[in-house]
Amino acid sequence: MSDQSDKNIAKSNLSTKLVAGAVLGLGGGLVGLFQGLQSGDKAPFLGWLWGCSFWLSIAIGMLMLIMIFRVFNSKWSPVVRRQQEHGLSAFPWLALCFLPLLLVAWFGKDQSGILWSWINPESPTIEVSSQISVGDDVLHQKKAGYLNLNFFTLRLIAYFAIFCGISHWLRKSSFTQDKDGDPSWTKLGSKVSAIGIPAAALSLTFGAFDLFMSLEYQWFSTMYGVWFFASGIRAALAVTILICLYLVSTGQLRGLFKQAHQYDLACLSLAFTVFWAYISFSQYFLIYSANIPEETFWYTIREIDPNTGALSGWFWVSMGLIFGHFFFPFLYLLFYRNKVDAPKLIFIVCWILAFHLLDLYWNIIPGREIIPGALVGFEARPVVGSHLLWGIFSLIGVGCLCAWAVVRSFQSGVAEIIPIRDPRIRESINHHE
Amino acid sequence: MSDTMDIKYAVSATFSSAKDLFSAAGKVKEHGYTNWECFTPMPVHGLDAQMGYPRSKVPRFTLAGGVTGFFTGMLIVWFMNEFDYPLIVGGKPYFSPIYPFPVFYELTILFAAFGTLFGMFFLNRLPRHNHPVFEHPDFGRTGDDKFMIVIEVDDPKFDDEQTQEFLTSLGGESVQVIREPID
Repeated sequence: MSDQSDKNIAKSNLSTKLVAGAVLGLGGGLVGLFQGLQSGDKAPFLGWLWGCSFWLSIAIGMLMLIMIFRVFNSKWSPVVRRQQEHGLSAFPWLALCFLPLLLVAWFGKDQSGILWSWINPESPTIEVSSQISVGDDVLHQKKAGYLNLNFFTLRLIAYFAIFCGISHWLRKSSFTQDKDGDPSWTKLGSKVSAIGIPAAALSLTFGAFDLFMSLEYQWFSTMYGVWFFASGIRAALAVTILICLYLVSTGQLRGLFKQAHQYDLACLSLAFTVFWAYISFSQYFLIYSANIPEETFWYTIREIDPNTGALSGWFWVSMGLIFGHFFFPFLYLLFYRNKVDAPKLIFIVCWILAFHLLDLYWNIIPGREIIPGALVGFEARPVVGSHLLWGIFSLIGVGCLCAWAVVRSFQSGVAEIIPIRDPRIRESINHHE
Repeated sequence: MSDTMDIKYAVSATFSSAKDLFSAAGKVKEHGYTNWECFTPMPVHGLDAQMGYPRSKVPRFTLAGGVTGFFTGMLIVWFMNEFDYPLIVGGKPYFSPIYPFPVFYELTILFAAFGTLFGMFFLNRLPRHNHPVFEHPDFGRTGDDKFMIVIEVDDPKFDDEQTQEFLTSLGGESVQVIREPID
């Protein structure tokens, strides 16, 4: 009895801490947004977007993985899938975290284009090193049918409606089966997934276009959505492995989450490490080969200082991604022992998460800051700046909010620790290498 | 000649269930035999570990093949485009790790696949035309309803009578000697 009450106290302590972290982080981030709005500083907005994107990518990755497990009717996955279903509870809160950015776009008046410059036709932009306004830029005029605030708002609402809707049905079909044991819930889960995969794939693709790619609206890459998918799956696999191994260490999944599950998740991590590199390199390779200025500038500002031609700090970040986000995890995960020894695997998934964060930073933060006196009319935003500070606030805030939602889902007793009445659960528990 | 010469190849014992074979295999391993094999009609999960088999060494061939492929691709491009016949294509450098990367990458995969396939053949000692174990009159039933343990004469702990008694003590049915005909 006292053991039970100790646990309850521990539970509420953790939730309190997470809520405190969320309030502190989001509060700090909001102060930043408010200041940025006053002074016309873009940095807090970029930081906020970066912080949200990290947790969004993890949630999307988990959603895609669950649906893939479902449509393939895979026999090994139910033990793992349940942990990811709890992760889906973060979606409504993530939607809430994007709301301030949308509110600024609608009600920011002359600052409405502070983050996504195309929202405000009066925003300054660069055409061949001279300053013009977005409304006069032919590259925006041609895209205005897609990049306009009404359609953008509608799309954002649709994306999150799709993510939240699919999550709701996936959770309901799985959790209800725990209680009534009706196998038709499994069929429903497969159907939801069969419809959900294309819907969520389109949402995450156009979501990546709208939220990240349109930061420099002149630039375009059709591979950007796939890049976001690959990154999200990598991050989701890393978090899934951490959650499962944590639950093994607390005893809840001991003997249920086996070495074979861990090995398979690690193999998927290896596969998606290669896939991420394939996509990221292909995007670079095509732009490098075609050598068209309206595409290459995006990579140029991630390599050199456009005014002096010298290598900038971003060059080292880029190199760090090639070697730290691909070569090292790839070579490390090739080895069997690194996949089945829990401490070794925990090390590399934390490494992958850290570099995933850097990858998002590299994709979101660099941009052209218009400086009238500069040689080419702009300067590339530096690696370290106030955007990093504000980003850390939102990273912690959004993270604590999502973690709170997920912990609440775990502790609510809405579901067993594994889907005990799933038709595949016996095979999943007896999963063998 | 009507009588062919033969030499003793191994001692075999059959079992009727995977469970019997599994526990017998553990005891054979504990007894210290090293040169022996199990034959089963279907995959038996965990039998490798029960027999004390280490992980396959094929991945080493895969890695070696992949690394060879990567550098072969690099060498091809460097030799042709930088050394033997320098040619500017599309304003790209003679040699760089970027534009010819698909070549490196494809050759890495190709040679890794070769390494895997031929490494597997090498370690399996395949292909071979015949195997002495086929001389067992009931060997065909290990593809149907029988499980078999075969301990080879080459095993350092092999002793004709003791090994036969040992297999009988494990519950082996029809313990017999397999003889390999020679010309």
